[in-house]
Amino acid sequence: MSLWASLAWHSAWSRRLALSLVTLSVSVSVLILLGAQQLRDDARQSFSNALSGVDLIVGPRGSATELMLYSVFQIGRPSRNMGFGGYADILQMPQVRWAVPIQLGDSYKGYPVLGTTVTLFSEFKSQGKGLEWAAGRAFGNPMDKPEAMSEVVLGAEVAKRFGHRVGDKLVLTHGAGGGPDDTDHDDHPLTIVGILAATGAPIDRSVLISLEGFEAMHQGWGMGISPKALKSAAASLQVSANPKDLQPVSLSAVWVGLHNRAEVFSAKRKIESFNRDPLMAVLPGVALDELWQVVKVVENSLVLIGMLVAISAMLSVAAVLLVAMAGRRKELAILRAMGATPRALLGFVMLESVLVCLLGIVFGYAISQLLMLGVQDLLRTGFGVMVHPGLPSSEGLISIAALMSVAVLASLMPAWRAYRLSLMDGLHPPNI
Amino acid sequence: MIKSAIHLKGLTHAWPRQAPLFEIDELTVQQGQHLFIQGPSGCGKSTLLSLLAGVQAVQNGVCQVLGNDMAQLTSLQRDQLRGEHMGVIFQQFNLLPYLDVKANVLLPTQLFPSRLKASVAVWGSAIQQAKSLSQALGLGERLWHQPIHQLSVGQQQRVAAVRALMGAPELVIADEPTSALDDARQLEFLDLLLQTAEKQHTTVILVSHNARLANRFDQVFEMHAGDHA
Repeated sequence: MSLWASLAWHSAWSRRLALSLVTLSVSVSVLILLGAQQLRDDARQSFSNALSGVDLIVGPRGSATELMLYSVFQIGRPSRNMGFGGYADILQMPQVRWAVPIQLGDSYKGYPVLGTTVTLFSEFKSQGKGLEWAAGRAFGNPMDKPEAMSEVVLGAEVAKRFGHRVGDKLVLTHGAGGGPDDTDHDDHPLTIVGILAATGAPIDRSVLISLEGFEAMHQGWGMGISPKALKSAAASLQVSANPKDLQPVSLSAVWVGLHNRAEVFSAKRKIESFNRDPLMAVLPGVALDELWQVVKVVENSLVLIGMLVAISAMLSVAAVLLVAMAGRRKELAILRAMGATPRALLGFVMLESVLVCLLGIVFGYAISQLLMLGVQDLLRTGFGVMVHPGLPSSEGLISIAALMSVAVLASLMPAWRAYRLSLMDGLHPPNI
Repeated sequence: MIKSAIHLKGLTHAWPRQAPLFEIDELTVQQGQHLFIQGPSGCGKSTLLSLLAGVQAVQNGVCQVLGNDMAQLTSLQRDQLRGEHMGVIFQQFNLLPYLDVKANVLLPTQLFPSRLKASVAVWGSAIQQAKSLSQALGLGERLWHQPIHQLSVGQQQRVAAVRALMGAPELVIADEPTSALDDARQLEFLDLLLQTAEKQHTTVILVSHNARLANRFDQVFEMHAGDHA
């Protein structure tokens, strides 16, 4: 059989230009199909990973998906805040093991700033693992030592991107950054005291400061305008040095962990019935599912397009090889004269088309993985999606198997043509 | 030892709903003898060769090839008979263009183990036989690794002859093997082919419209257009 394989290879190599083009078209289709699938799976995976350990996300009543997106993934921004009292009430609940306040709104060179408490460092989990330190330590509790207000912790990626080390000083920007009206908090330089190890979660892209520190920077600001802009020099100078006076009035969101996960629904009901401004408690898994429902149409159409492209590529392989059969009648007659049976020729031609499809699939997969390797960082920084280039997932394998079967079916056409031609022509193909 | 290479009796062949292409009362060629089949185009020469080679099924009459009644064999068995015991030479384009000379020549011995065995039994190896045949047909070994398209038509026909004779088949069927060559080369090629074939006791059945070749053969069979003889 290796003789036929070698013949098929030599024959295919002699027509390598046409064949490499169809191989490429198969590759592109595989790239689209498997790429779309993998991107979808990896996106889901990284979104769910980022939420592991958080049982409830609490925020002002509104869209659950939005709350989850801005509080966990820092995608979009809150349109309103919840009262700080809600956080205090949550802390009082017996079911609650921990609660972490999240304050958003500032940025550092485009990366979001998270105002929070030290509890975050002990409770946050990504992929089931707690936070680890690449260098330094957490910021201190300003209640114990007021100078902790100017301490800042960087996520792995922020530190890496700007080459920051423990001890470096930096200044945050009011707002999301990039806008012409954004003002730096240059009257509040901060000192880096710790850098987190990479987790793959959005926290890698975050700059973390204490809630009180966050508040201190915004003292005297009214309606989102810097006191400096109002030229009230006095306001910026009279920053309260007492952290106890720096309790915020409102928060963007609160992450809650419970003692017992089974109590999540009763806790949710309780929080939502607080006698304050209306709150919403969201189960991250449910919110994610809602999000997937929304994007499902897009995902599915992407995969569907990928499938159609793949099928059309396979058909083009069949078409090209079918057309090429006309020019190969002499070749078939020569082999036939040497005793090759029509069935052997069927296998011979089929081997080639299967080879083309197989090569296209392998090549397409390799390109997709290389591409992902290339845009890995971009996907992580831009979208918080961790892609995992490597061997195909089980779903990917199913797609590959499906593609292979389509390829074999498509290969049957030129092979069957070869069979018919070799029977028809015998030793005397028409002179062409 | 097979006495007759081919034995035909009352052999007719017709395309569907048409008068018979030819009718052959009797034709026998002894093993080792050479047969020249002459006739104008359209007389059914090629069809007769297809029957002898076992590519087409016998419709009517007796067609014995190398002691086998072709009508009794399945198409697979006929293919095997051809592969193991026959060599075929066409008018031109005999060689697979994507293989070099050597690979083309060795194909029959790679496709059928019995051809390889026959080659090894006499020459020690297929390569050795290929060398010996090439020499006999006036092909230098320096051509061995050349791509086919760099060969002249005459060289290509010789390579085809070497390939047809590999593994010492009992029968070589040649369909106008010289008509692509210029006049001077036709007889030269034919003589080399017949001489080399004789050395391995191979019967050559050759079809041509060129009557000048006939005197090199032991037997001549003439076919006429719409032959009903």
